[in-house]
Amino acid sequence: MFLELTEEQKLIQDTARNFAKAELEPLAAKLDREDDRPAFLANLKKLAELGFMGLNVESAYGGSEAGVVAFSVAMTEIARACASTAVTVSVNNMVCEVIQAVGSTEQKETYIPRICSGQYPAGAFALTETGAGSDPAGMTTTAELHNDHWVLNGSKIFITSAPYAGVFVVWAVTDKSAPKGKGISCFLVEQGAPGLVVGKQEEKTGQHASATCELIFDNCRIPRGALMGKLNDGFRIAVAELCGGRIGIGSLGLGVGLAAMDYATRYATERVQFGQKICNFQAIQWMIADAYTELEAARLLLMQAAYRKESGKSFAKEASMAKMYATEAANRACYSAVQMLGGYGYTKDFPVERYARDARITAIYEGTNEIQRIVISREILRNFA
Amino acid sequence: MKILVCIKQVPDMESRFKLNSDGTWYDETDLAFRMNEYDEYAVEQAVQLKEQLGGEPEITVLSIGPDRVVEAMKKALAMGADRGVHIQDPKYYQKDPWQIASAIARHAASQNYDLVFTGMQSQDRGSAQVGVTVAEILGFACATTLVGFSYDNGVITAKRELEGGTKGVAKLKLPAVVTCQLGLNTPRYPTLPNIMKAKKKEIAVQPIAELLQEEELTATARMYPPARKGGGIVIEGDVKDQIEKLFGILKEKTTVLRAA
Repeated sequence: MFLELTEEQKLIQDTARNFAKAELEPLAAKLDREDDRPAFLANLKKLAELGFMGLNVESAYGGSEAGVVAFSVAMTEIARACASTAVTVSVNNMVCEVIQAVGSTEQKETYIPRICSGQYPAGAFALTETGAGSDPAGMTTTAELHNDHWVLNGSKIFITSAPYAGVFVVWAVTDKSAPKGKGISCFLVEQGAPGLVVGKQEEKTGQHASATCELIFDNCRIPRGALMGKLNDGFRIAVAELCGGRIGIGSLGLGVGLAAMDYATRYATERVQFGQKICNFQAIQWMIADAYTELEAARLLLMQAAYRKESGKSFAKEASMAKMYATEAANRACYSAVQMLGGYGYTKDFPVERYARDARITAIYEGTNEIQRIVISREILRNFA
Repeated sequence: MKILVCIKQVPDMESRFKLNSDGTWYDETDLAFRMNEYDEYAVEQAVQLKEQLGGEPEITVLSIGPDRVVEAMKKALAMGADRGVHIQDPKYYQKDPWQIASAIARHAASQNYDLVFTGMQSQDRGSAQVGVTVAEILGFACATTLVGFSYDNGVITAKRELEGGTKGVAKLKLPAVVTCQLGLNTPRYPTLPNIMKAKKKEIAVQPIAELLQEEELTATARMYPPARKGGGIVIEGDVKDQIEKLFGILKEKTTVLRAA
């Protein structure tokens, strides 16, 4: 049993931490309050140049080949400073990985380097629809082959990075008569494809700098070669790739939870009430002990899931456990952090209310935590059947 | 051209320091270590020079200390140094700057380096003597506390920071040693692909005994934090009263007025 990061993983963690502190943190509060997309995208470009968009991607496609553990620790450090940046980096990595896993050589050589180098500020993952959230196999967007083109019709919702993504991984029904989940295929759609419309941007509770939009396909024509993977095999691809994304989002949640507790703990060592620092009160001490214990447990679950994925072992259950636990621990940590700051914690003069808003979605996106519990219990019950 | 960059790994300066059990150095348990800040400027300047010269110079990064210093060396390799020399010495902190410089010079003597970069001082010990002493032992030209560096055709133009904020410009012919100060450059972040590639770069390991045979000549008797200051005194009254009270205190409780 060896629980230390390697020297390379530590250096990547340090680089992420130093970059996040110097470049992301000073902007995070401003980006939460007002739109400054050029500044947000400029930092994404710098992160791409440092190699953060393809941590677990082969160097032949411009990736860093740093592995999944490095991906997890980097996500946590970035999220400690700016959750909006972190979610974009997580999705970019996931888009690179799905193309790497199932794309043709040409698709891999075309799209992965553009995301890794920052030529595309982002890639996007277009699965969810208004009527197909936790139940993505219920999607209704269709793709029909007309001669040498696929024609897509329908719409997607909650698509991260849609306005500035260079390429979208899009799922659509290609066989309406097939059993549920067996007639869905996966496509690569470039920004600007005829008939592709980026719709309304959602006004979210948190993670404001990261744009989340509707996506409309109005007779959207894409080349025949835009099909990724095998025809009608798309749902399996989505389910498999979302597992890796869960490590990213769990790590992001951990980062936000740590940021909140670090801030609140420092505050508790300075704030005086009843003639003494509030960290002398047991009520505060227990919040600190509980939150850091849970965040440490979350870190260990994440490290295990990342290690298993990196070693080629099964990791779906572990990734779901880590995502579910880390994001709930982060939400509890943020709740305590606001509580520790009292009224000040509820104002925008202090960052903990932002952390609390940013953390909330981590229990919902990349598979709600209820879906994670289904995945976990299904894996466990299988061994008792 | 052969370039040597001497770096030291130091504790993160935001750490909470505790003394070790015999009270002669800080306790390293639970400390996070990083590359000495001034040495980062040295690595960056060496890599910039290598880039200026089309990649021709070979950069060797050297560090003295226990095995943990390899992590700082890997950062230097990821920033662009080509190879590493780790001089293993778990008791590095008991050696004085002359001995550290002697070990570096002994290594350098057989390697025909043209140019040595290092930080102007370490953040933990802060003696600021190692760089100049290496130059003295090797008979190299030397300029300290650089805030500007340019190189052309065998001549370095060094902008130095002097006392009181004045700047000086010195020209040095190779071989030379320069020590680097805040403001010289902005060290790059190592890119992730370069961090992974640095894994394959050679780090030669050499025990300190092969470079330095003499015993430590100095010993740290005791290390202690400064005594906690009590609360300050607020002097009140009109200005004349205040001056009289202040002089009274200075005369009675301090030595500042005695020399005069």
